[in-house]
Amino acid sequence: MIDNVLTTYRQPLRSAALIGGIALLLLLLASLPITLLQSSIRLSTPYVLGSLAAIIASRAGVLNLAIEGKMLLGSFIAVAMLYRTGLDPMVGVLASSMAGALLGLIFALLYLRIRINLIILALAVNLFVANATVFFMRVWFGAYGTLADPSIRGLPNIRLPVIADIPFLGPLLSGYNIVVYIGWLMVIVIWVVLYRTVFGRHIRAVGENKEAAESVGINVTRVQVFALMVSGALAGLAGSFLSLGILSQFVENMTAGRGWIAITVSLFAFVRPIPAFFTALFFGFSEALSFYLQSQPGLNLPPDLVLAFPQIATILALIAVALRIRGSELLKRRNFATQFGKELRNLRDGVFVGGQN
Amino acid sequence: MVNAVEMRNIRKYFSSSNVLASDNVSFSVRQGEIHALVGENGAGKTTLMNILYGLIAPDAGEIAINGKPARINHPDDAIALGIGMVHQHFKLVPSFTIAENIMLGIEPNRAGFIDGRDEAEAVRKLGAEFGLPVNPTLRANEISVGMQQRVEILKTLQRNAQILILDEPTAVLTPQEVRELYGVIRKLAASGRTIILITHKLLEVKDVAERVSIMRRGQMIGTYNVADVTIKQMADLMVGREVILQVDKTPAQPGEVMLRAENLLVAGAGGMPAVFGVSLEVRAGEILGIAGVNGNGQTELVEALAGLRPVDVGTIELAGHDITHEPVRARRTRGMAHIPEDRLIMGLNLKTNLDENVVVTHYFHPPYSTRSRFHFPAVRQLAQRIINAFQVRSARVGEAINTLSGGNLQKIVLGRELDGSPQVIIANQPTRGLDVGSIEFVHRTLVAERDKGAAILLVSVELDEIMALSDRVAVMFEGRIMGTLSGPELTVQNVGILMAGGMLHETAPLPQAI
Amino acid sequence: MTTFRRSLENLFIPFSAIVLGLIASSIFVLMANTNPIDAYQRLFCEGFGPRGCETFGNLLFIGVSDGQGGTQTVFAPTYGEGGHRLAIVLERATPLILTALSATVAFQAGMFSIGMDGQFVLGAIVAVFLGYWLPDQIYLIAGVEGYDAAPQAMRTIMHLIVPLIAMSAAMAVGAFYSWIAGYLKVKLNVNELISTIILNAIAVQLVGYLVNFPLRSDFNNIARTRRIDDSAWLIPFNRGIFADIEWFSGARVGVGLLIAIGAAIGVWYFLWRTTMGYEQRMARGSSLFARFGGIPSGKAALRAMLISGALSGIAGAIAILGVERRVVDGFALSGTGFEGVLVAILAKESVLGILLFAPFFAGLQQGATNLQFGNLPRQLGGIIIAFIILFSAMEQYLRKRLADVSELRRARQRKLSTEVPT
Repeated sequence: MIDNVLTTYRQPLRSAALIGGIALLLLLLASLPITLLQSSIRLSTPYVLGSLAAIIASRAGVLNLAIEGKMLLGSFIAVAMLYRTGLDPMVGVLASSMAGALLGLIFALLYLRIRINLIILALAVNLFVANATVFFMRVWFGAYGTLADPSIRGLPNIRLPVIADIPFLGPLLSGYNIVVYIGWLMVIVIWVVLYRTVFGRHIRAVGENKEAAESVGINVTRVQVFALMVSGALAGLAGSFLSLGILSQFVENMTAGRGWIAITVSLFAFVRPIPAFFTALFFGFSEALSFYLQSQPGLNLPPDLVLAFPQIATILALIAVALRIRGSELLKRRNFATQFGKELRNLRDGVFVGGQN
Repeated sequence: MVNAVEMRNIRKYFSSSNVLASDNVSFSVRQGEIHALVGENGAGKTTLMNILYGLIAPDAGEIAINGKPARINHPDDAIALGIGMVHQHFKLVPSFTIAENIMLGIEPNRAGFIDGRDEAEAVRKLGAEFGLPVNPTLRANEISVGMQQRVEILKTLQRNAQILILDEPTAVLTPQEVRELYGVIRKLAASGRTIILITHKLLEVKDVAERVSIMRRGQMIGTYNVADVTIKQMADLMVGREVILQVDKTPAQPGEVMLRAENLLVAGAGGMPAVFGVSLEVRAGEILGIAGVNGNGQTELVEALAGLRPVDVGTIELAGHDITHEPVRARRTRGMAHIPEDRLIMGLNLKTNLDENVVVTHYFHPPYSTRSRFHFPAVRQLAQRIINAFQVRSARVGEAINTLSGGNLQKIVLGRELDGSPQVIIANQPTRGLDVGSIEFVHRTLVAERDKGAAILLVSVELDEIMALSDRVAVMFEGRIMGTLSGPELTVQNVGILMAGGMLHETAPLPQAI
Repeated sequence: MTTFRRSLENLFIPFSAIVLGLIASSIFVLMANTNPIDAYQRLFCEGFGPRGCETFGNLLFIGVSDGQGGTQTVFAPTYGEGGHRLAIVLERATPLILTALSATVAFQAGMFSIGMDGQFVLGAIVAVFLGYWLPDQIYLIAGVEGYDAAPQAMRTIMHLIVPLIAMSAAMAVGAFYSWIAGYLKVKLNVNELISTIILNAIAVQLVGYLVNFPLRSDFNNIARTRRIDDSAWLIPFNRGIFADIEWFSGARVGVGLLIAIGAAIGVWYFLWRTTMGYEQRMARGSSLFARFGGIPSGKAALRAMLISGALSGIAGAIAILGVERRVVDGFALSGTGFEGVLVAILAKESVLGILLFAPFFAGLQQGATNLQFGNLPRQLGGIIIAFIILFSAMEQYLRKRLADVSELRRARQRKLSTEVPT
């Protein structure tokens, strides 16, 4: 009985569930303090950029597992550029994305030309960056654990003129630093590139069927190298946010696993840019939540457990994706058996009655 | 009269596999003709065409297109010269639409941005122009195999191909689709285009080609007018000796029913049934052949029987026991052997040595192991036994197998599966990709097993093989058994009719199903 | 190709990877305004040398004073005056061997699990807890004050059973934690590389919490747990049996090393001599083949994860019971588990390779750490390891290059001698 209702009214039921879910979400968000929402949006930036980095590489057929390393490199370069040079923080941001692109190029060459095993290569690159950044921090700057200096200017917050005055949404959309806005912009840019440009078409072709692309003359290696460079640049950019967008300093190992979470975000979003953006927002929220709860004197939650919120959220996300895939498979199988089993029986009975076979 | 294609003294040696694929080959095709290039597997025809299309660089030789010398280093060069190639395995991007696939690499764009509507319209016009209408908005993973091939052909025409190379184009088509393809080929030739047909099916050559060039072991044997040669003559030239198209076998003495399937419903990819109500019986001491074009459910049927795919409705019995939901190991223990379609991926693990490959079906009991501990002498004995009984050349006990030839690898698979005289043998394309000598060996072995009392289910897309080996033949089409033939009814014509979905007797047509 | 030539080849590649890695890293040494030769000599001496080691040569032979104003040359590796660095290397290599075995068992079953870190710290915290809690209960029941007040017989029995129980519990916890990632992969196809990395982070946070709150035993600047009872201590060689051999002084290598070597032999036997190991190896890389042959590859993969987790768990337990004896806040971040993965990769998953590479790795890290006081950061060790891994992973490429060169040579010979082959 329930089954029938569920199947017949499936479409309207789904829309109702979606609308209901969104309404619930909005209600929830409206009840939270605005500072929490703002930090969520801010903190989601490395996940937005990181997941875009993962997406563009995956679409070209290469799982970029070195995003963590490229992010960390970006963080370091951004600060290193500004140390005692008094340069504008934008220089740091630019330098970090170029450094990321360069590392992406090296990664691509090592993987595609020399054919090093992808996982080993990624682990080696991540290891190298983690160690090299601390190495140079000490050797070049004489700093231990943290690279900071008054001459390093952090990214200023930008007030968007008209948007800031919109009631309720205004404070949520205005007042962030430029990397945050670049992140939002990149979501659209990547979407457009993937689905509306020649280059994006080629990337997707290479990722889905390398031979098809080769047979029409597309240079697969060139496309993949390019995609990995873009991926590296985005990851480096994400890193610059970490070091210049919150506190203007570089801390040893400051990415703290965000690169891996960004990869999870891209998987959860089935490598599509728009869902990735929303998923990244969710992870930004979980991270902001953990800081928020720490700062609340009323609740006496131990900081260590609370800091694990993003990770726990990640595991739950991974499980949710897997369950969804599994669930739809099982559902399809069950429907299949019922639907075609019935037809088969009818067929047999029909044949028995009339014909000869 | 200038030749469309002129290849002179082409030489190509592959050092990695130590094979001389092209040995001083000269090949020419007249403008506007339909020219067949035939040879067995490994004769060098695909290599030659890959050289023409720029996928491989020759070690020596010259090429001239329409009388002008040409350097073809890359498919782009070939395309610029008007050469188009439709490969045996289609090169389409599954999630792209037909229009996107056809336009891949030459997308009409403004500063990098694509207009989807323009694209679709252009493709629609293209299809209409050549009498190959398509719906440009359908995705490649939603259309039939015949339609996919049409898309591949349109791809070449979109790039102004005047010389079309078709590599084994009918391998995946139903007889009806084959006839349609012939029509397309003839029409294209009539419009002045040159068609080169790579094939090993001599009937096809007779049906549609004007001249035929025969290759053998990397050498060009000769070019003939199709009207002047018989199929037997072509076959002899292809193989280099008298071809015996018969397999020596005595009439079958069928015994008990060893394998029975009843009303099987098995899901395929994309949620559609691949096997829809199949029932069959195989008796001890007989070979039941399953004929049919690739893709009509044979693979799924075999997987269901072997335990690699779940059965949704129906039952399977082996020697009277219900094995419908039993795991693979249980079925093997009951005496089922399975020679898989793909020996490289399923049948063998090329990363390890011979011993570990041959023991995979029986490693978990004595004499090969007791209580989880291996007894390597017994394993080595097994490996040696197989090497001896099946004459696997250049294989050594304890050594790697990844350098062995296809024929030798298949012998290892056979040796392992047939060791211990299984009661039921499922052989799925057992001679795919093998040379003539190995094919003969496999055939003799299967017949020998049959005479020892095994029940053999033989699935093959090669009609000659089915006809030569089977005692009875069941034909699969779109997931159903269209009919089972034996005795005087068992003729190539009848099988062909059933393979195409036709009916043999005047009976009421099947009620409309799906 | 003969077996001898093949084993020579197999040794050549890792060796050249090491050399190439050192050469590549010397660029970084130069950037720190230091002479690479000097730096490397110090590095290897601090890592592997006897006291007073100064040059590469000293690693093998060193001149020592003979007490009468002159010098005599002795064989360095056995010269134990003041303690030998090799002893410390063995101490540090013990957990590495175990975590590398853990990684290998997982990899050989096709599971790219990096969960050693998390399993390691969980095993450690379980061991430290049982290390003081269990003896407490025993003393309570027996009505005894503590270790010093206990009779000799009781002490002996406790020395045997307390560490045993602690290590078993650590193995169980590690195995369980690893099983989670395995289950997620087998049943839900969740990528195990990512899930183990995330699970590691959770475990590290969890242990940090435990050390800072429930198990915290004193309130200095850095939180730490209670110390394990003396009866749980895996007494190091330099305090116990070999107390008078100076070679061991300064190092806390003990029974743990023997356990690690035993585990290595066990893992080798398991992987290459049992049916279960066979199943795991077949399930890897060619899972269609495994399914086709009837191998229960899901079960094999889960079993591999359990064993892998147990090995990392016991590594953590030994690190506590034999060396640290308490868990300090920040211990969880030491990354020993991950280093095991690196050793396994370097060793190309061969057990013998692990036994060779783990001490090498440990010595390198240690040498780099001690170098720090001479203006080169210890991160140099990590950089060297990264390069060695890269070069060792280029094996395919290098082999192909070598093959191409010899093929070219052969082709030239052929052209000179005979006609083109028909």
